[in-house]
Parts: sequence; C-alpha cells; structure tokens
Amino acid sequence: MSIFYDLTLSHFLVLAATLFAIGITGVLLRRNAIIVMMSIELMLNAANITVLAFSRGFAGQDNNAAYQGQAFALIVIAIAAAEAAVGLAIVVTVFRTRRHSDIDRLTMLKD
Amino acid sequence: MITIVPNDFLYLGPLAVLTIVGLLLILAEAFAIGKRRRFLMQLTVAGSVMAIFAAIYTWRSIEPGTQISAFSGMLIADRMSMFLCALFAGSTGLIAMLGAAHQREYDWQVGEFYGLMLLAAAGMCMIAMAGDLITIFIGIETMSLAVYVMTAARRRSRRGSEGAMKYFLMGAFASGFLVYGMALLYGATGSTNLQTIRSVLATSQSSSLTVAAIFMLIVAFGFKIAAIPFHMWAPDAYEGAPTPVTAFMAAAVKSAAIAGMIRIFVQALGGAIVPFGQVGWSSIFAIIAAITMTVGNIAALRQDNIKRMLAYSSVAHAGVLLVGLVAAGIAPEGEGLASVLFYLLAYSVATVGAFGVVVWIGNRDRERVLLSDWYGLAAAKPAAAMVMTLFMLSFAGIPPTGGFFAKFFLFKSALMAQDQALLWLVIVGVLNSMISIFYYLKVVMAMYFRDATGEFKPLNSGAVTFVLVLCGILVLQMGMMPTSWLGYLGV
Amino acid sequence: MSNLPISRKCLMWLGALALGLLVVFGLEPSVALAAAEHAADSTAHTFTSKVAGDGGAGKGAAFAFWSFALCAVGGSLFVITRRNMVTAVMGMVGTFFAIAGLYLMLYASFLAVMQVLVYAGAIMVLFVFVIMILNRPVDEPWAVQGILGKAIAALGVLYLFKRLAGILWQVKDTHALVLAKDKLDVEVVLNHSDPELLKDLGVLSIRGLKHADVCKSLFAVCRDNTLNHTVADTVKNAYEFGSVEGVGYTLFSKYLFPFEAVSIVLLVAVVGAIAIARPDKNEPEGEAAKEAS
Repeated sequence: MSIFYDLTLSHFLVLAATLFAIGITGVLLRRNAIIVMMSIELMLNAANITVLAFSRGFAGQDNNAAYQGQAFALIVIAIAAAEAAVGLAIVVTVFRTRRHSDIDRLTMLKD
Repeated sequence: MITIVPNDFLYLGPLAVLTIVGLLLILAEAFAIGKRRRFLMQLTVAGSVMAIFAAIYTWRSIEPGTQISAFSGMLIADRMSMFLCALFAGSTGLIAMLGAAHQREYDWQVGEFYGLMLLAAAGMCMIAMAGDLITIFIGIETMSLAVYVMTAARRRSRRGSEGAMKYFLMGAFASGFLVYGMALLYGATGSTNLQTIRSVLATSQSSSLTVAAIFMLIVAFGFKIAAIPFHMWAPDAYEGAPTPVTAFMAAAVKSAAIAGMIRIFVQALGGAIVPFGQVGWSSIFAIIAAITMTVGNIAALRQDNIKRMLAYSSVAHAGVLLVGLVAAGIAPEGEGLASVLFYLLAYSVATVGAFGVVVWIGNRDRERVLLSDWYGLAAAKPAAAMVMTLFMLSFAGIPPTGGFFAKFFLFKSALMAQDQALLWLVIVGVLNSMISIFYYLKVVMAMYFRDATGEFKPLNSGAVTFVLVLCGILVLQMGMMPTSWLGYLGV
Repeated sequence: MSNLPISRKCLMWLGALALGLLVVFGLEPSVALAAAEHAADSTAHTFTSKVAGDGGAGKGAAFAFWSFALCAVGGSLFVITRRNMVTAVMGMVGTFFAIAGLYLMLYASFLAVMQVLVYAGAIMVLFVFVIMILNRPVDEPWAVQGILGKAIAALGVLYLFKRLAGILWQVKDTHALVLAKDKLDVEVVLNHSDPELLKDLGVLSIRGLKHADVCKSLFAVCRDNTLNHTVADTVKNAYEFGSVEGVGYTLFSKYLFPFEAVSIVLLVAVVGAIAIARPDKNEPEGEAAKEAS
C-alpha cells in the first residue's frame, strides 16, 4: 500500500500523463469541435501539472529553476485563454455558415 | 538584481518595428473606411521595409559567429536570426500587396488583416530570435493565432471557415504536444533556457525523460511544418484559406517553424550532445524526411487544384528542409545551417511568386484555381506564363533558378555530414526531385500546350505585378549569383 | 443511458456525487479534514519521507491527492464521453478545480488561484457562452464510421501512455537522489521547536498530529540548512514558494520579455476573435449558395 501513501513526484507526473492521454483520446475520437477544444485544454493542463510538479521537485535545491517553471505555467495559462478565444470564434464562424460544428461533416475540402 | 540592460533593446529592432506598426494598423483600421483601405496596405509595406532595414542594420552590427543573448537569455541576436527576420518581414510585405488586390477583387475587406499579419511576423521574429523555450512557444502562438484568424477572414466563404477550423484544431493539438514536450525537457534539465539545456545535457548522460520530451517536440513541429504523417490539415487549410493567406502559410509560417526547429533541435540539442543514439533525433527526422518527400510528391501528382498541388509540394519541400536540418544537426560545423537558410529564401521567394500568379490570374467571376483553368495562358499572357514557369522550375530545382542551387547546397551539405551517413537520404531526395518535375511541368504544359477555355481577365493591380516581377528577378538572381547570398548566410 | 429522462439523469449524477463525497470525507473524517486544511504541509513531508525511510506518513496528503486525482481523471473522462456539451463543460470545471487542488499540494498557490480564475472562471464561461449561442447543447453520438481507425488511434494513445507513464514513474528515483543531497539536520529543527514560531507557521493547528510529527513535517520544508539561512527563513521561503511575490519576482526580472510578449498574443486573440466572429452587416446571402452548387 505504500504506493498509495508515499506520494512522490511520479504520482503527479503520471497523473498528468493520464490527463494528457485522455486529452489526446478526446481529440482523436470526438467529432464535436467544442469537445475537441476542451480536450486540447486538458492536454495543456496536463503539461502545466508536469511543469509544476517538476518545479516542486527543484524547489529548495535550485529555486531559480523552480521559479522558471512557475512563470512558464502562468504564461501557458494565459496563452491557453487566448487560444480558446480564437478557437471559439472560429467555431462560431463555422456554425454561422453551416449550422453545425461537427468536424467529420466538414467535407468541402477533400482530395 | 536588474537583469535587463539598455543594450538589449538595440537587438529588438525588427521585432519592435513590426509590433509597433502592427499596433498602429489595428488602431488605424478603426478609422479607415471605404476607399482609404489602400492606406492600410501601404502602411503594412512601409512597416515591413522598415523592419528589413532594421534587421540589416542589426545584422551588420553583429560579428559573424557570435550570439548575443538579450533579456536574460530570452532572446538571442545573431546573424541568422536577423536574416530570418528580414525574410519574414519581406514575405509579409509582398503578401500584403497580394492581399490588398485579392481583398478588393473578392470583396472581403477585413482591415484587421494587415495588423494581424504584422503581429504574426513579429511572432515569427520572436521564434527566430528565441533563446528560451517559452519565447519559442509565445512566438509560435502569436503567429499561429493570427494565421488561424486570417484563414477564416473571408467570412462569407464556407471553405475558409472549414479550412480555419481544421487548421486551428490541428495547430492547437500540436501546441499541446509542444507544451508537454517543453515541460518534460524542463523536468529533465531544470531550465527553460536553451543554452542552459544544452550545457546540462552535455554534462549528463541523456535520460529517458529527454527522449520523451524530444518525441513530443518532434510531433509538435511535425504538425507545424506539415511533415507526413502530421500533414493532414495542410491541403485543406491551404485550399480553404484566401490565396494570399495560403502564400503566407506556405512561405512565412513554414519558415518560422523551421527557424524554431533550428533553435531547439540544431542549436540546443544538436552537435556533440544529440541525445539518444548515435545520430539521435536526427535519425527519426531522416526517416520522416524521406517519407515526407516521397508521399508529398506522389500526392501532389494527383492534384488538379493548383492550391492543393502547391500545398502538397510545400509538404514535400518540408521534407527537403528536414534533410538540411538533419545535416546541420549532426554536423554543426558544416554548411548545413547556411544551406537550410538559403533554401528557405529560395523557397519563400518562389512560393510568394507562385501564389502571386494564382492571385493574379483569377477574378471575381472565375477564380481559376483548377489546372484546367490555366490552359493556354502562354498564348494569352506570355509574360505571366513565363514568370510562373520560372517559379515552377525553381520549385523543381532546375538550373537557371535559385531552387537549383538551394537543393544543390542542401544535398551537398547532407553528403558531407558524418562520412556520408546520409547518402541514402540524399539519393531519396534526388529521386524525389525528379518525381516533382512531373507535376511542376504539368502546370507548364497546361500553360503552353493547351487551348484556352474562355478569355483571361486577370486582376489589374500594379502591386501584384510588382510582386511577380520582383520575385521573378530574385529567383533568377539567386540562380545566377548564389555565392553572394551564401556570403551573407555564413552564420 | 441517453434515453433516460433528464430528471433521472440528474438524480443519477447527484447520487454519484454524494457517493464520491462519502468516499472522500466519510471514511475517515479527521484525516480528510487535516488533509483539506494542511495538504501542503503533509505533502512536503511525504516527499522526503521516502528518503528519511519512514513510510506510512502523510495519510492526509495521500488522501487529498487521490481524491483530487479521482476528480481530475473522472471529470476529464466525463468531458470526452458525454454527448451533452453542457455536461462536458461541467466535467471540465470539476477537473480544473481538482487540478487547482493539485497545484496547492505542489506549493503553487498563485498558480492555483490563477487556474480557478482563468480556467474555471473565464475560459469555461466562454465555452458555455458559445454553446448557448449555438443553441444546440446535444451533440451527435459517437462516430460509427471508421471504427477501425478509431480503435487503432485509441491503441496508439494507450501505448504512448504506457511508455510515458513508465518513463515518468522512473523519475522518482533520480529525484530521490537529488533530494538525498539535502541532508536534514534534525538537531537544528528540534532546537527551533519554539511554539511561537511554529504557531506563526500554522503548524500547530494540524489536527491530531503529535509534536514529533510537527517537527517531522518541518524537516521537509527546511531542506537546505547548509546555506546561511536561519531555519525560520528557510521555512518561510518554503511557504512563500509559489506565492505571488515569488512568481512575480521571476516574472518581472528573468521572464520580463515573455511576460510582455504575451500581451501581443492576447491582443492578436482579441482582435482576431472580434474580426471573424462579429456579425457581418453587408452580407449578401449569395456566396454560400454559390459555393454549395
């Protein structure tokens, strides 16, 4: 049971990897653009957990490195917000021209 | 602890010019109505020219072979980054001219277009000058977000929004991989600074964490440069976007992604410290390059839409560029980097020119993007057919053009790297160049040996003509005097 | 599942939520409360407990971690499986709160606040807005066509995850080595077990922990007593790690350029989103029809 009680960095990292994998699965398997975008947000969050876990690992021995991780994570959050705004605007545009936001039904451009 | 010194701002030249003019344009858009939109284009071109001059000025002030780090290592100013800044600014200016004519003809006057374009160029400069993972990420996002918007800018076009949607979803997916890869790299080395990463990796043996990080980064950049198997968005986005935006994606965005790869893979993870294996990430890239060239060229053979064909051709060119990157990565003291930069220049000029002809040939009633629409162009408009032939020859790498020397230098540097370890890749590349001749000549044949269907009514725009003439001259000049350019590129 | 009336569905989810809460807080209330109050302290403890060789400590932190992990993974599975988009967004909000909790456990208090404000507060509201504008909260069911491709994709992701998790699980060792370098000087801490100091640090308010445990959890935070820091300083630094002050200092010194550059990204996003999403006034309906033909 010590795997449950002895928390290590790896717990956080593997949790982040799980969320990342769930995010990729969502992107690959779902058809709705909004859900796909949420899955992408999930991937970015997984990356942030990874950064902060490593940052926590560096804390105390190399505070410079640790704080770099914190700043990195903050900037990733800001950029994720910007990306979501643009993505939702594109969803609205697609919806306005064709009344759905279903990726598999976007078939005008094809080989 | 003050980490910013006033000198840092000196190296910000092109980046600052592009940003400030971009902000001005976004402000000016609010006041520009109706006919005065031409002013926006002129301001864009002026901004680009100023940025080029700023880049040249900074380029001259930097000693060859030195890297000056600014803003506590966030930016690196060297001759390569200044050359790339000038390249990005130049293609932005030329494409703004195409954009103005295209907007007027197809009536999608979106004033924000120009401001976003310049800000995207600023993002590209950030990538070219990046000295830190976070700078690369911000630069890529600035550029990508602006280009997603530009792709969807022709709002009445269903193709535009569809292309933008696919481009956005794939681009954001790639960003997820990019951030995750950066997170793992940070965890493996304890820094986000590229130079620190390099020195840490040089002193410790590579961990599996680094391998995972590099895998994620390869996937992310594979999407960004549309290497196979990550290319599926490219043809759709290229076809759906308005033609000037397609030119921007093919020329500038791809070059910027390559610049990011140079910074991360060649400079931070290249040379003696390539993690895992003898040639490390470069062996993966070599395989991707071979597949990308082959599949891209074969897929391009089947296309009858010019924009789609050029999209697949740009996929194939990404493969060739990867060959150069691999050569530069495993032999940094060789000429790999300079040859990649020269290839980027030749490729960008030919791309802007080719898409310029695509913009020029169509009009409101008939956009003429199918190959059959180009039948008999040579009889009706010989000059345009000439110029287009020139660009096609340059793409195919046939002598009197810049494309020939670009391919020549690139493959030569790949051959010289590491006892001809890349010989097989060069052979694949040369074979692929031969395949590519077929579809480039298909366009030439269509223009010269077929009968026209309907009268040609091209755009009547001085700016587009100027772009075509300038690109044509540049392609020829690079073909006649390549060594002068190589002198500038000696990074 | 999808055929159930909406009231039954709500009841089911409420039941599941109650069950989850019961699992989290019901089994061992004191541990759970301690976890909720001082998750960060205990985490710090358990990170080094492996090195110190006393397993079994930090049950509270472990509990907090596993419940947050459950919420995060459950919420994200919710996102990618639900047909109803509003439900998916709610799952996402739950995930974001759980992730904020994880950030707290990692001492990233400022980031945790940002996570709640920006993600749960702003981005998710944006998503809900768009879903409401589109006015079609129910998505089509899963794609049936191309099931083979999707199976291959899922297997690929699974393989990727397996490799990745394997690599990340090894990280423990290398970092444990790093941690081992910071030898804890027991004496120093014991000499500083001044009740006032500990009270200042809020350590005494941990429920159900003996004095020795308090000291133990202090060891964790004052790793680096070889430097010229007093213990109080070290402890204070550890607590302030990830605070606004700490992150802000980095952000305005080393990260000044990226910090300013982010403003360009945000500007591009705002201008771009408005440029393509605002209603088109002089829009003739003709072009869409022309393209469709």
